[in-house]
Amino acid sequence: MSTMPKAVEIENFSYKYPDGTAALDGVNLGIEHGEKVVLIGPNGAGKSTLLLAMAGFVKGPGKVVIDGLEITRGNLKKIRACLCSCLENPDDQLFMPTLFDDVAFGPLNMGLTSEEIKMRVADALRTVGLAEMADKAPHHLSAGQKRAAAIATVLSMAPKIITMDEPDGSLDPRNRRRLLKLLGSLPQTLIIATCNMNFAAALADRAVLVDGGRIIADGDAKEIMADAKLMAQHGLEVYSV
Amino acid sequence: MHHAHIDRFAYQDSPIHRLDSRVKFIVVLVFTAVVISLPRTSLSILACYAVGPFAILVLGGIPLRFTFKQILLVSPFVLVLALSCPLYDRTPVEVAFGPWVLRLTVGWMRGFTILAKFVVTMLALIALVSTTRFNDLLTGLQRLGLPKILVIQLGFLYRYIFVLIDRAHHILQARAGRKLRSLGFKTELRIAAAMVGSLFIRSIDTAEHINIAMQARGFDGKWNTLSKLRIHAADFVFILSAAFFVLGLYLCVRPALQ
Repeated sequence: MSTMPKAVEIENFSYKYPDGTAALDGVNLGIEHGEKVVLIGPNGAGKSTLLLAMAGFVKGPGKVVIDGLEITRGNLKKIRACLCSCLENPDDQLFMPTLFDDVAFGPLNMGLTSEEIKMRVADALRTVGLAEMADKAPHHLSAGQKRAAAIATVLSMAPKIITMDEPDGSLDPRNRRRLLKLLGSLPQTLIIATCNMNFAAALADRAVLVDGGRIIADGDAKEIMADAKLMAQHGLEVYSV
Repeated sequence: MHHAHIDRFAYQDSPIHRLDSRVKFIVVLVFTAVVISLPRTSLSILACYAVGPFAILVLGGIPLRFTFKQILLVSPFVLVLALSCPLYDRTPVEVAFGPWVLRLTVGWMRGFTILAKFVVTMLALIALVSTTRFNDLLTGLQRLGLPKILVIQLGFLYRYIFVLIDRAHHILQARAGRKLRSLGFKTELRIAAAMVGSLFIRSIDTAEHINIAMQARGFDGKWNTLSKLRIHAADFVFILSAAFFVLGLYLCVRPALQ
């Protein structure tokens, strides 16, 4: 009997920065398909590096398996069609002259037909509420629109897993609520790194507390984020929603 | 931050905006070459040539105030060149405007012609970038045979120049907020060098992030695009009208005016 592979499976993974500082130290983590998981932790805890490791951008001892495929040079293309990363700064994510081209960039690299690409771009932009802005240049968008556009760039690739680094950064409350609604409606496995406990609690069922490159706690999001002692120990705060 | 983008009117809709970017680019290129090749005594014909881009700007709904502001912004470089001409050639010359005769030097004539050519070619250039979206212009240039790598670089330049300007502006604001007295030339120079260095390092950082964003979406070094350009009947009408105007003036009116 074949069992469905986990969305993400990390075994004893470590990574050191070029200057020798340990960014990740013996990380073990398993995430099932369909889960919405938040990686919480203070600045410099290793959350972003962990997300980069899942997309195969940092290499080190240990094993990272995405949807049953171990990260190797030969598997990278398949893995990146399955797991898409959304970077912290939308200006880094949106690098094409127009929104249409940016959202079409991934599907084009997947070798889809132009009709299929146009359909995917239209769907992705409609999902994030930017259907009318396809021809706009990214520098003409507001911070909230840029964030939504960055999400559209990964949605158009129809991945099974989406990772996001601090997606709530520099958003006003209204745009944050919109983002929460959008992320909550996505059927994909979501892995989100954030320092904002209220945002994390409103979005995810499961929280993974990372600090010093290690996983400190892993479990029910609200339970972990309500533990005042644990939160204070790691420079965080309890959620208040 | 909101910037005064040179192409901010390119997102309007007009018959000129709807023309194919390749057609507009070629017409502007030929127009510019013809205007530049005119002799230094052709001030009156230059005035006739100005009608073409002026008409395009009006048809495209581009405000003339915006146009002349853009011309003024880049004029200092040409002004220096034009105003230095009278110093080199002081041969007297008489210019007749109907019954009026103006006594000048060849240097002044040359200076006026340089300025006039600059204004006319700038009008054409502004008409092109104000009625064509930058992305369509890039796609057009690529279809006309410009190397892909150059098109990609131009695309990145257009995308990130505003991000860079924002960052530089923020650094300057941070400096102004803490600079409470004059620190002397040497210290100011050292601070300026540190600011440029910071901007440079952040640019490298951004480049690395963009590389990650591109690879994360399957980029393997092959640049794929969906070209949406198509030549329509209106483009042929535009080419014929432009050819009639440029060549007509060049062949017929020029001998009559000289």
